[in-house]
Amino acid sequence: MTMNTTPVEEKPPVKGLSPWGMARKKFLKNKLAMISSFFLAAVIILSLLAPVLAPHISPIPDIEKVNISKMNITPNGEHLLGTDKSGRDVLTRLLYGGRVSLLVGFSATLIVIFLGTLVGSIAGFFGGRVDSLLMRFTDFVLNFPFLVFVIVLNTILHGKVDGLWVLIGLIGLLSWGGVARIVRSKILAEKENEYVLAAISIGCSPAKVIAKHLLPNVMSTIIVQATLLFAGLIIAESGLSYLGFGVPQKTPSWGNMLAFANEPDVLQGKPWMWMPPALAITFTILSINFIGEGLKDAMNPKSTR
Amino acid sequence: MIKLIIRRFLGMIPMLFLISIVVFGLAKAMPGDSFTGEIDPNNTNPEYIEEMRQKTGYYDPVYVQYGRWIKDFVQGDFGKSTRYKIPVSELIIQKIPNTLFLALVSLVITYILAFAMGMYAGRKPYTLGDNLIAVFNYAGLAIPSFVAGVFAIYFFAFGLNWFPFAGSVDIEISKGTPAYWLSKIHHVFLPAVVLGIFATAQYTQFLRNDLIENSRRDFVRTARAKGTPMSRIYNVHILRNSIIPLITFLGFDIASLLGGAIIIEKIFTYPGIGLLFLDSVGNRDIPTMMAITMMLSFLVLFGNLLADILYGVVDPRIRLG
Repeated sequence: MTMNTTPVEEKPPVKGLSPWGMARKKFLKNKLAMISSFFLAAVIILSLLAPVLAPHISPIPDIEKVNISKMNITPNGEHLLGTDKSGRDVLTRLLYGGRVSLLVGFSATLIVIFLGTLVGSIAGFFGGRVDSLLMRFTDFVLNFPFLVFVIVLNTILHGKVDGLWVLIGLIGLLSWGGVARIVRSKILAEKENEYVLAAISIGCSPAKVIAKHLLPNVMSTIIVQATLLFAGLIIAESGLSYLGFGVPQKTPSWGNMLAFANEPDVLQGKPWMWMPPALAITFTILSINFIGEGLKDAMNPKSTR
Repeated sequence: MIKLIIRRFLGMIPMLFLISIVVFGLAKAMPGDSFTGEIDPNNTNPEYIEEMRQKTGYYDPVYVQYGRWIKDFVQGDFGKSTRYKIPVSELIIQKIPNTLFLALVSLVITYILAFAMGMYAGRKPYTLGDNLIAVFNYAGLAIPSFVAGVFAIYFFAFGLNWFPFAGSVDIEISKGTPAYWLSKIHHVFLPAVVLGIFATAQYTQFLRNDLIENSRRDFVRTARAKGTPMSRIYNVHILRNSIIPLITFLGFDIASLLGGAIIIEKIFTYPGIGLLFLDSVGNRDIPTMMAITMMLSFLVLFGNLLADILYGVVDPRIRLG
């Protein structure tokens, strides 16, 4: 008699996805967010490659020099998007402008996230007096009318320091209040968990508890906030530049290019000068917002989309 | 309730004091005489400047200068505009009706649009209409106001010729006539719509989600069970519950309307406070600039206070906390 034992099928243990893995899977399934990601990636790559691409797409790759002989050319084979009032190629400036706008948005976002997380996590973790003091200060910063103060400060500092980084610093210093509030409320909820008590009781320093135990758990919120901020701060940069108080005017940025539309004859009759930056801003902002929404959805374990 | 209001008002005072110090510091950091506007910026004779500085108290200790400035400010004396040679308060009084009118029309348009769209989308969620409204919301929340403004002028003012592209009223019409007001509304409509897009999208989205949520509540089931028609349930029972949280948005709207007015007035060359502010910055008219900065900061603070108090009115739990 043969031992006829049915072979027990050795199933390999099914390994569940990590929270990040689940989020990634959900995000990859979100069509709108994926299309937006590709679009944003294309915008970033084209902007970064501007100095390489410029000589190939335009006969006049210089973005600042005035060419009197080439003013106000309508879009044609040579200048795909035409030239502006100073005879500079619009497409070239659009690419370079993307560099500046994205750089300002990105750097300011880093500053805002850093300051907001720092203040919010300290206030939330320590609570009590530290909390109320820091939150009063946050309220104080939030109470400034943002646009007015950036304009006034930029006017004071004008000519004393290099414009671009002053702008980034100012935007960063005036916009961290919202992030601080959100991070604080998340930390407040998170620190009630027992693992935090355990970490404190084995002697972890507050800095370690915040950095190693609390922040990773509020990271998803911070990432979503950062995405939405990135969009918001690009808008802030272009708005300020549009008004003439942002990036120094000779440097092309999307806002500076859009400022040409301040002249009625350009706005009415020469749409090729302002429409490309306007559309670039709009689609970039839209795609970043869709990515943000997608991330929010993906990182929320309760959503089942 | 009164206790809450008083407490919030008292809480506002230190904030106001801090902001005034910051604005004062900024004014001090400005080149030249920032406060009185008495010194003629075109006269560069050092003896003249020296004499005027002595006269306007430029060399007094800082706290004395602050005290004098804040005392004058509270009394409504904002100094003299270096550009227009008239008191800043007069300048502001000339321009502020336009900005208030713009903000008011914008609010009215926001409310009408948001209620119409929010009610529709909330009653018929996941239909074609709801999806279209969702697209509008996405666009409204994402497209910056200056881009929307530029496109609005290009299409509606230049392309279709429906609206004027600049100004607040036709100059040849005499003041006070019905035609004057019609012309004013005609001029303010486009900027007001653009100014309100963001808020409209916000309100619509909120109202829609709140209606959907409320329609699953027990009181709706009760109302249906006793035979109340659906339209009455929506228009009376649910809407009442959903409007309440919306009230609190009003305070924040004040801040966003005033901030937004700066950009919108520039795009539409609409002569209000925002345009006056930009104009004063461009011309280094520092007394005007500082007065408007202080005024706008105060209004933002007031808006936040209003939002806080309205929260208390709406949600009794906050009154106790």
